[in-house]
Order: sequence, then structure tokens, then C-alpha cells
Amino acid sequence: MQKLVLQLVYSVVVKAFLRIIVGVKFDNGKFLLNEKQFIIIANHNSHLDTMTILASLPRKLVHKVKPVAAADHFGKTKLKEKLSNYFVNTLLIQRKRDKENPANDPIHRMIHALDNGYSLILFPEGTRGAPEVQQPLKPGVALVLLQRPHIKYVPAFMTGMGKAMPKEDSLIVPFNCRLIYGTPQLISDTEVEPILNRMQQDLTVLQGKLA
Amino acid sequence: MEKILRFDFIENKDLLTVVIIIFSILIFATLLFFVIGKLKPQAKLDELKARTKSWWIMAALVLGATLINSTISYIAIALLSFVAFRELYSVLGFRDSDRRAIFWAYVSIPIQYYLAYIEWYGAFIIFIPIVMFLFLPLRMVLKGNTVGIIKSMSSLQWILMLTVFGLSHMAYLLSLPDVDGFSSGGRGLLLFLVFLTEINDVMQFTWGKLFGEHKIVPKVSPNKTWEGFVGGIISTTIIGYFLGFLTPLTDLQVVFVSFILAVSGFCGDIVMSSVKRDIGVKDMGTSIPGHGGILDRIDSLAYTAPAFFHLVYYIAY
Repeated sequence: MQKLVLQLVYSVVVKAFLRIIVGVKFDNGKFLLNEKQFIIIANHNSHLDTMTILASLPRKLVHKVKPVAAADHFGKTKLKEKLSNYFVNTLLIQRKRDKENPANDPIHRMIHALDNGYSLILFPEGTRGAPEVQQPLKPGVALVLLQRPHIKYVPAFMTGMGKAMPKEDSLIVPFNCRLIYGTPQLISDTEVEPILNRMQQDLTVLQGKLA
Repeated sequence: MEKILRFDFIENKDLLTVVIIIFSILIFATLLFFVIGKLKPQAKLDELKARTKSWWIMAALVLGATLINSTISYIAIALLSFVAFRELYSVLGFRDSDRRAIFWAYVSIPIQYYLAYIEWYGAFIIFIPIVMFLFLPLRMVLKGNTVGIIKSMSSLQWILMLTVFGLSHMAYLLSLPDVDGFSSGGRGLLLFLVFLTEINDVMQFTWGKLFGEHKIVPKVSPNKTWEGFVGGIISTTIIGYFLGFLTPLTDLQVVFVSFILAVSGFCGDIVMSSVKRDIGVKDMGTSIPGHGGILDRIDSLAYTAPAFFHLVYYIAY
């Protein structure tokens, strides 16, 4: 049931809304069908980011991709948690590591979701921040990929989202936005720092393509 | 079903003639580029082919919306305004604190078209130039950020006038009352306006490409030449004369109106060119393959629509 709801919501309703009203121009996400599993890493400016990426996915994949979100924000109340788990298919994690208790540890939870066959959407900047300003990437995504190095990551870059719906303002004011995907790739290093640098580079290349 | 879909334009000989002309031109252009492409494979026709393909889609949309159901035409033109407004707003660099005012500017779009729909001419004609003109700056002021507020106030009003007020005149053509002995009505006028404006663009482009030599506004748009301008105006005026049966005007009036329409189309074109030059982009967007954004296609309409409407309104109504 949730599968059908998610497909209807994202591949039809949200997609039409983003395309016609907000003015999002999507990159075709069909190529993702060739990957068995992947982690999408994207820049983060707005709640619309998650909606846009989910709407860009091929319909068959929508229910197999979990956006990773902060539990302190989306799990504030039981109701909010239930709603975002059901309608956004989120994987809620806490921001800090918890090595004592693996069920609570963000890295462990992401790996667990991957092992269950899900793909992930990650915003390595961690927070939306000021509109259209990028922040340094956090190491979590690299730590996950180091433990599952056979899984590819897919860089994605969006512009305009922070103008259409910035942090601290829930009013959507239509603004022409773009979403563009890079090519899926495996990590090519065994250290966190170079992996993050490489990812940052991938994102910058995509940003250059949109400018 | 009959209420939603009106196919009476098939029985109206005038409208049907124009539909046939438009599709003949498209078929001719498609075949022409196809044949040239086969004979001279080295000729660079990709852009022209993309343009023609987009013309097909645009013609089908415009004709479908205007001829089949007039309520849908209002919505379609409103949507056109909306997309054009969004395109221009997105590239002009507003401040984050302008978002509330922009939101109200968006809200004004359906209101303006509703006023056209209910045929309330007095309100239609003052809503954006007066009501919104007074209200939107106030909304910005209430936000309290005065740095750069003059630029925001003036750009917003300009966008609204160009993309909403100007284009909404196309919708009001459909609301004009019937004139005795003139069967095509508002739909005929709308078709005349859109067809002639686009033909004018194509003619100016073609004449310029073929004979263009003396630049007319080199700093704004290096592709615009006197040859293209004059050739375009003459051919547009002649074509307008032969399409006069779509309007309630006399022959002399049609020639005059077509001439003004051709000149104002050119003006709209170079005004938008100068804006693009200022922000440093070649095209406004990527929504229509071969043409650029919506605005690149309707820049001249934003000028011809109000000019044409008020001329016809003055002469015939």
C-alpha cells in the first residue's frame, strides 16, 4: 500500500506540482534503473530538495529509495515521525554517533537500510543553511561507503530551491529551479578526507554545468 | 461534452481558412528543411529543425486552446503569463526579503485573468497599473529591508506589466462584445494577433538572414538589421491585409493596424534583448527547444498584444 501511495504522490502529484507551479526542470533519472543500489548525494537548501529528487526517480524505484533525515527535526513528535516515515519514506537518524548502541548509531542505521535493499538520499551538508550557499560535507556518507564499497554514489546538484522555499520560511514562491545528476561512481580511496574532496569536486562540476 | 468542446470553428469558414494556412506553412517548412537536409547534408539545419518542431507544438497548443473552448483559452493564456513571469523573476535577482511581495504578484495573475473573464473592463485596465502598483511596494516596505528596495519595487512592477498586464490583453480580446456582421469574434482577433506577431518574428529573422547588412541597434542585438526590419514590416503588413477577414476592420484600418503591430513586435524583441544583455544570458530559459525560454518566444507578444488591443478597441468598439 505504501508503495502505491509513494508512487502516486511522487511520480504524479508532486512531480506535476514541481514542474508546473514551482518551475523545476528535472534531469532524467532513468539511468538509475541500471544500478542495483545507490546513494544519491545532493546539495541541500530546501525541503523541496527531497521532494524534487524523489519526483525525478523512475516510478519503479520510488519506494526503494529512503531519504535520510534528522530525527531531531522530523521525529520531533510521534505523529511527525509516523507521517514522514510513511509519506516521505524517511530514514530518521540522530546527528551524533552512538557507538555503544548500534540501533541508534546513524552510520549503522544507514548501512542496515542498505543491507535491506534500500537506496539512500543523503545531504552531506547536514543542514539547509542560508539560501543557495554550500557548506562543507560531513563525513557520514564516506563512512558508510567505506563499509559497503561496492555501492555507487550518484552526485546531484540543484539550484533555485533555496529561493523557491528557503529555510525559516514555509511559503513556496515559484522560482525556476534545476536538478542535474552526475554519473554514478564507486569510491576510489580508503580514507574519509579524499572521498569527501572527490564528492565536493563532483558537485562543483555539476554546479558549473548549471551556471 | 458539447459544452466543453466546441468544434464550430469548422463551420466558420474564416477561422478554418487560417487553421489550414497555418498547418500548410508548417508542413511546407518541415518538408523544406527535410529536403535541404537530404540534398546538402553539410548545411546546419539542426536549430531550424528544432525550431520548426517547437512551432508545431506551439501551433497545436494555441489553436487547440483558442478554437475549441474559450474558458480553456483564458486559463492557457494565464498559464503563459505565469510561466513568463516566473522566468523573468528568476533571472532578475530579487532580495530574499521580497518573497512576500512576489507571492502577491503571483496571486494577481489569476485575478487579472478573472477580471478579463467576467468582462469587467474598468477593473481589468486598472488592476495592475494602479492597485498592484500601489500595493506591492507597500508589502516590501512592511518587511523593513530598505537596502536595494527601489530596484526591487521597479523591477517587480515592470515584470508584472510586461508579462501579466500586457499578455492579458490577449485574453480580453475573447471578452469583447459581438460586432454586427463579423462572425469570427474575439477568437478571430486573437488568432490574427498571435499569427501576425509570430509571422512578423519569422519574417524579420528571414529578411535579416538573407539580406541583412546595416545594423540597427548593434549594442543591443547584433542580429537586427535595417533590411530585416523593413522587409519584415512590409511582408507582415501585406500578410495582415490578406488576413483582414479575421477582424471587423476595413482594409485601410487593417493595413494600419498590421503596420503598428509589426513595429511594436520589433520593439518588444529588442527590449527583451537588452534585458538579456544586461544580465548576460543568451536565452531566458530552456523550455522551448530551438527558441530558448518562453520569454524568448513571447517577448514581441508582450508589446503587440496591448498595442493591437487598444487600437482595435478604439477603432471598432
